[in-house]
Amino acid sequence: MQAMSEKPNKIRWYYEGLSKGVFRASKCGDCGKFTFPPTGCCEYCGSWNVENAELSGKGTLLFATHSGSAASHPRFEKAAPFVYGHIRLDEGPIAQAIIQGVGTSPEDLKALYEKGPVPVQAVTLQMDDLPVIAFNIQD
Amino acid sequence: MRNQLNERVAISGVGCTHFGNLMETPEIKDMSLQELTAAAVKEALDDAGLSGQDVDAVFAGNAMVHSSQLPATYSQISKWTGTQFKAGVHFEAQCSTTNVGLAMAATAIAAGVYDTVLVFGVETTRTKVKDYSPYEREPISHQQSWLWTDMAVNQAYGVPQGYDIFSSYNGLVALGYCRKHGISIEDFDRGMFEVCRTRRLHGSMNPKANIQETLEEAAKRKGISDAFEYWQSENNPFVAWPSRLLSLVTTADGASAIVLTRADAARDGRSQPVEVKGFGINATDLPWYGEDPTMWESDKRAVESAMDMATIKATDIDYLHTHDCSHISGLCTAELIGYLDPGTALTAARDGRLRFDGDKPMSTHGGRHAFGHAWAASAGSDTYEAVLQMRGKAGKRQMPKPPEVSVIHTHGYAMIGTVIVLGGM
Ligand SMILES: [Zn+2]
Repeated sequence: MQAMSEKPNKIRWYYEGLSKGVFRASKCGDCGKFTFPPTGCCEYCGSWNVENAELSGKGTLLFATHSGSAASHPRFEKAAPFVYGHIRLDEGPIAQAIIQGVGTSPEDLKALYEKGPVPVQAVTLQMDDLPVIAFNIQD
Repeated sequence: MRNQLNERVAISGVGCTHFGNLMETPEIKDMSLQELTAAAVKEALDDAGLSGQDVDAVFAGNAMVHSSQLPATYSQISKWTGTQFKAGVHFEAQCSTTNVGLAMAATAIAAGVYDTVLVFGVETTRTKVKDYSPYEREPISHQQSWLWTDMAVNQAYGVPQGYDIFSSYNGLVALGYCRKHGISIEDFDRGMFEVCRTRRLHGSMNPKANIQETLEEAAKRKGISDAFEYWQSENNPFVAWPSRLLSLVTTADGASAIVLTRADAARDGRSQPVEVKGFGINATDLPWYGEDPTMWESDKRAVESAMDMATIKATDIDYLHTHDCSHISGLCTAELIGYLDPGTALTAARDGRLRFDGDKPMSTHGGRHAFGHAWAASAGSDTYEAVLQMRGKAGKRQMPKPPEVSVIHTHGYAMIGTVIVLGGM
């Protein structure tokens, strides 16, 4: 465990990882689970005994819908409407994020829904001011 | 935790303003926030037969300080409600605020610290302070409203990376529900129409509701004779497929208030008291659910705590409100509580069972869609409705048999699952 004074800002560390295409998390030294995105403790058992870790970015898209046509946040004005999905990562955590590789129309989303869960891979989406995580559908 | 109230606590008075827009809605037009709050507080104090000087403490709820600009609310409101020289605190639990306040008040009374506590919530989600004026207001833009509201949602990773309330709260939950129960998207759409139609019917019978127009009337206004055709028209677009606009909250300005007191003292009050039998509060952060979007762990735990404290079973519940910012999410909660059987909520809506005169009445004030949503004041509006129903004073929308046991569930964005159980004395 690092001394408090040596700890970097976890939030900055996560986004710096994203800018390099790395998906950073923390791993619990007590229960072994991943907290993603990372915090300073284990979100499952409350232990402070956590270490920096990286996830593969591989996962399964369980469900996908779309955002409102007017973005709730200025950062996503140009991107809206976008597909937004519910994902189970291979290492265990559940994530919700922008999905690429399918359209936002009801027809496209219905076809995807009827297909059932599909594999996805995390990628970095560079917005004007911040790298954010997105997931590409793997065919 | 022991999870028990050591003394019996009652609601002796309730108050709630019309929910609407401080710049447009006739009943509240041009009121200051101080006056809006005072209107709800006066109604509650009158109902209890008390003055502001009879209470021991004031728990003042306001979530979006950006639009109200009234921090230290308990202090700034005290000269408008006659409650100065009392203990007080400004607190927020977002859209669960007033009922979390109720739970804090019940705790303080049952502990023997206070005899009587006033809880109020005030919120403006349609209008904000204009420039530096002490009395002029101006509208809040759609984006501004969500930016401020979403400050209550994961600011480290969720909101910065594209979090979308319509997806997380509506579309993904809807798809999870359809998949889990084998419901077609077409049947889902029809069911959601019926839920909205029911809530609008309730709103039309509630003189304080934000929207008092039925779906049928709205369709006619647009020149469409069939309400379901209106539902599927451009007037009701998908906001997060398969969820549509009219399955959502409508924003409002409003205030509500609750007076709580020792149960033995409440009997001497002016109106029929209602007992606080139990409560449960449980918070989490995004994502609100695991693989199954219909099962929210924080709600499950809040429900279990509340029902354990109140020693009731799901079959004891006569009236239920679940947080319905998103109609599908509210139905999932009703099934989680056990009020409705799993996978039956949409059929129950189509069969009219969720109406005020049905066998599983829900949200008879109109819920977040028709009654409207004024964040910190809304849970108080739900409690207000439950108390009116239990007293047999809910007017045109009165349940034929006043409920003995009422359960109110709210979601404090995001996410504070809060459940309170009310019972007859
Ligand atoms: Zn752990």
